[in-house]
Amino acid sequence: MRLKHMAIIIGVSYGIMAILPIFVGDIRFIMNIMIMCLIWAVVASCWDVMMGFAGIFSFGQVAFFVMGAYCSGILSIEHHVTPVLSILIAGFFTAGMGFLVGLPCLRLAGPYVALVTFGVHMALQPTLRGEIGIALGSGGSVGLLTIPPISIFGYTFSSANLVPTFYLTLLVSLACALVIMFVIKSYWGVAFLALKDSQDFAMSLGISAFKYKLMVFALTSFLTGIIGAYYGHFYGVLSFRMLDLDLFSILMVMMLVGGLGHFPGAIIGAFLVVAGSELMAPLGAYRAVTMGALVVILVLALPNGVMGLFWKRSPSRVAEN
Amino acid sequence: MGFDEDTILLLYEITDVIIAGLSIGSVYALMAVGMTLVYGVTKAFNFAYGDFFNMGGYFAWILIFGLGFQFGGYLGVLVIVMPLMFAVGYGLEKLMVAPLRKRADWENKVMMLTLGLALFLTSLYTVVFGARMKSLPPIWDGVLEVGQLVFAYQDIMIFVMSLGGILLFGWLLNNTRLGMAVRAVAQNPIGAKIVGIPQERIFAATFAISTVMVGFGGILLSQKWFINPNSGSTIMVKAWVVTAFGGMGSIRGGLYAAFIIGMLEAFVGWMFGMSYSIIALFILLLATLTLRPQGLMGKGE
Amino acid sequence: MKRISQLTWVMVVCLLFVSGAPAADTIPVGVPIPMTGWAAGSGSDYFKGIKMAIDEINASGGLLGKQLEIIRFDSKGFEPEVVMQAADYLCGQKNVASVQAGWAGWGQDVRAYGKYDAPFFADDGSQAAVDIFKEDPKKYYNIYQTTDVGVEQAKSMFRALMALPYKYPSKKVVIINTDDSWGLEVGDTLEKSFKQSGWDVKKRETVPYGTNEWGVILSQIRRIKPALIHMEIPSGQENITFIQQFLKKPTNAIISLGWGITPREVVDALGTSADGIVGEMPSGLPGPKAPNAAGQAWIDKFVRINKHQVPAGAWIAYTAVKAWAHAVDKVGDAYDFKAVNAYIQENGYEGEMGLIKWDKDNVLRAQKGAPVVHYQVQGGELQPIYTDPPLTPYPNSTFKVPRWITK
Repeated sequence: MRLKHMAIIIGVSYGIMAILPIFVGDIRFIMNIMIMCLIWAVVASCWDVMMGFAGIFSFGQVAFFVMGAYCSGILSIEHHVTPVLSILIAGFFTAGMGFLVGLPCLRLAGPYVALVTFGVHMALQPTLRGEIGIALGSGGSVGLLTIPPISIFGYTFSSANLVPTFYLTLLVSLACALVIMFVIKSYWGVAFLALKDSQDFAMSLGISAFKYKLMVFALTSFLTGIIGAYYGHFYGVLSFRMLDLDLFSILMVMMLVGGLGHFPGAIIGAFLVVAGSELMAPLGAYRAVTMGALVVILVLALPNGVMGLFWKRSPSRVAEN
Repeated sequence: MGFDEDTILLLYEITDVIIAGLSIGSVYALMAVGMTLVYGVTKAFNFAYGDFFNMGGYFAWILIFGLGFQFGGYLGVLVIVMPLMFAVGYGLEKLMVAPLRKRADWENKVMMLTLGLALFLTSLYTVVFGARMKSLPPIWDGVLEVGQLVFAYQDIMIFVMSLGGILLFGWLLNNTRLGMAVRAVAQNPIGAKIVGIPQERIFAATFAISTVMVGFGGILLSQKWFINPNSGSTIMVKAWVVTAFGGMGSIRGGLYAAFIIGMLEAFVGWMFGMSYSIIALFILLLATLTLRPQGLMGKGE
Repeated sequence: MKRISQLTWVMVVCLLFVSGAPAADTIPVGVPIPMTGWAAGSGSDYFKGIKMAIDEINASGGLLGKQLEIIRFDSKGFEPEVVMQAADYLCGQKNVASVQAGWAGWGQDVRAYGKYDAPFFADDGSQAAVDIFKEDPKKYYNIYQTTDVGVEQAKSMFRALMALPYKYPSKKVVIINTDDSWGLEVGDTLEKSFKQSGWDVKKRETVPYGTNEWGVILSQIRRIKPALIHMEIPSGQENITFIQQFLKKPTNAIISLGWGITPREVVDALGTSADGIVGEMPSGLPGPKAPNAAGQAWIDKFVRINKHQVPAGAWIAYTAVKAWAHAVDKVGDAYDFKAVNAYIQENGYEGEMGLIKWDKDNVLRAQKGAPVVHYQVQGGELQPIYTDPPLTPYPNSTFKVPRWITK
């Protein structure tokens, strides 16, 4: 997909989000949902870049999200670092973790990368809840309950003033999306694609698989860590419950709905899935059943997600990819 | 050379730990064998794997408690549930997995589909059967006492069944025509096609057989650990870890992996406490994959 | 491109429709209880109590002449964003007059609902939640806990265990608990209490949920030969598998399951094989034989509607709804939150067992009107043996030494 088209889709999606507060600015519930959409959009996009674009079968995205969130939370509570700074530090910390996790994955085939990254996810929970976590300040099983909100030049962005916070979230989310877009369309992006399609050939051209794989890990972890930290400062609370498989499944569904590997499908996927999930809330206990069934139908009917719909109108693009 | 009482007690305790490890291991083996088969042959990752486990348990529960089925005890139940599971597996493969295999990137798509299926089944169970767990009456109650050591008949049975099932399975793969066809398709799909092996039918049959084994495992396990609508994902993860650790597609590898992990859990639990077993497992996994990236006995890709 | 923007617009417009206001002639009551996920079982127990209260009120003419309307929200697994969303949806969007919940977030809920003023009732039993309340009692004045904290419940458990008409052959105890805040609160408190009384805590272990293979721990227990084993796992499955595996080769120990005895599936699955086990239910109405006619009538009605005995939380959830409704009735306006909250704080409520009052931290501490009930399984059913405070043997009850304890 051309840079121009990606930019347009991103622009339209975020543009619509930007205008919405005019209509629903005073409905807290909807504003909260939209903020969540923006946050998940970043995580889903990062995961999409890893799995769909770079072809790395990583199951660790949620773990990095939580790592970033806890890192920033702990820094601002225990060490009184101001949130804006702690978010940035958390981003770099998570990038570092991503790099470390990526190292053993370099030599492994697809499913094993999934296993190792998922192992990180699984091992994170007892670590946070156990003595190591408590020593670091994770609050163990109770979690973090007193995370300070972001304040810039004295102005506090919290759920008390939702609309300004919404726009801040929009900016952060948009910035992350743009970073992803430029990376995909840059030389790096071409290298990722080449490695995914044919690793041996790409390597014969001098593209270092190791270097690029580690870069993907680091970059996506950085962005995920940042948005995770942001999540923590917005909600003010963190718990290990985020590591249950609910979030994991929802993010996968977002990637699916958007179209795996077709950035910026994941962003739209995030919006649609969250909106759809809320729409179905009146179904109560039947909501999950319906969602599961819808996912199955969606995979069969629209294997390339929403982006697939868009693609159908321009077959020439297929040749490009 | 006289052993003092403390040493004897310690030895008994260690034996108990070993028995616990074997017990856990055999449960994991039971969980994993279906996945080893399906993944090894069809390369399809099934997120709903654990939910099929529960499906077997729930079918049995419906028969025993819902319909008051009395004929032939558990044998009767199995006779009805096994074909049901076969049909479910076959149908699933034909309707949902097969159409996807034609597309590019199909592994991801199958994974997504089964994820949706898992979501669907887990919540369906919660809605239909309620959130509280259900129990099945044990096939064989009672214990076997050998001196100070105690073995529950149920555990012995699970051990024998899972081990037996896996070995029987391995034998079938190596010594029957169907088995060899399955292996051919697994090792060299294109070559198998050339020789005239109907790939689609083999895939469907593999899926179906694995579903039967899974359902059977579910019934066995439900007597010991009960049917919980939410446990599907936990079972899937455990089975997957065992399978991957053992080497995808290697039955023997899966068997070794199951028991190694079982023993690890038992001993780590004994020495450090049960909360550390996941971390220990993760370290073991990492260490093994660094040295052998294809798992214990997997074939290098 | 057009399609995407069209799609998004459709979704957004639908979202707007979702935000409809409730009918004007009903009083909405928010019920953020998990309907899916790992806590759904407990959720349904609380819901049964809440629904019974609301149906009762509606059947006798409603509150202030208006029918009560239950607005549910699925708390799922109490993830941070879900808890926040629930508060914003129920209080912000649906403008409910009160929020009735069971387990609600163990601290996160205080933060989430403290932003609003509608009376909020939760059954967290968590010291962390109370600590947050104490940070700003004025802001969190609408938050009520319907159960005493884990620390206090653990002390009650200890008192009961020490008061049993049974001579412990030794002073060795084994404590096993889960790795969440409840398990740790209770486990820590029990360990301290035992040690202070000269007992020897031979083993204290924290286990994760989902532990079903007890071979290792049981072999250690067989070596230690404790006089008392206390398990604190607020979930049915782990307790059942432990008891089943324990009974295969039991040791001479009193087994106390703490709160873990209350999920109905424990006695359902074990039946009479569970006879002898002790445990507790906080803020409970003792049954199946209640201490008075009002209580018996309540239990009989509950059993008639739900076809099983009363699980933990159902009665106190019922009582919380009634207490709120009573306050609204006296104040005359369901939305005068300041007055309603003040009334609840000052006056409490006269329940089936007498007056209950929330203390200055808005916690319903164990008291005569809502005691901690200690049970022993007898004949395959929970039978009360003590109520606390003060620790009083339950009328016409006997403690039976478990059959697996041999002289």
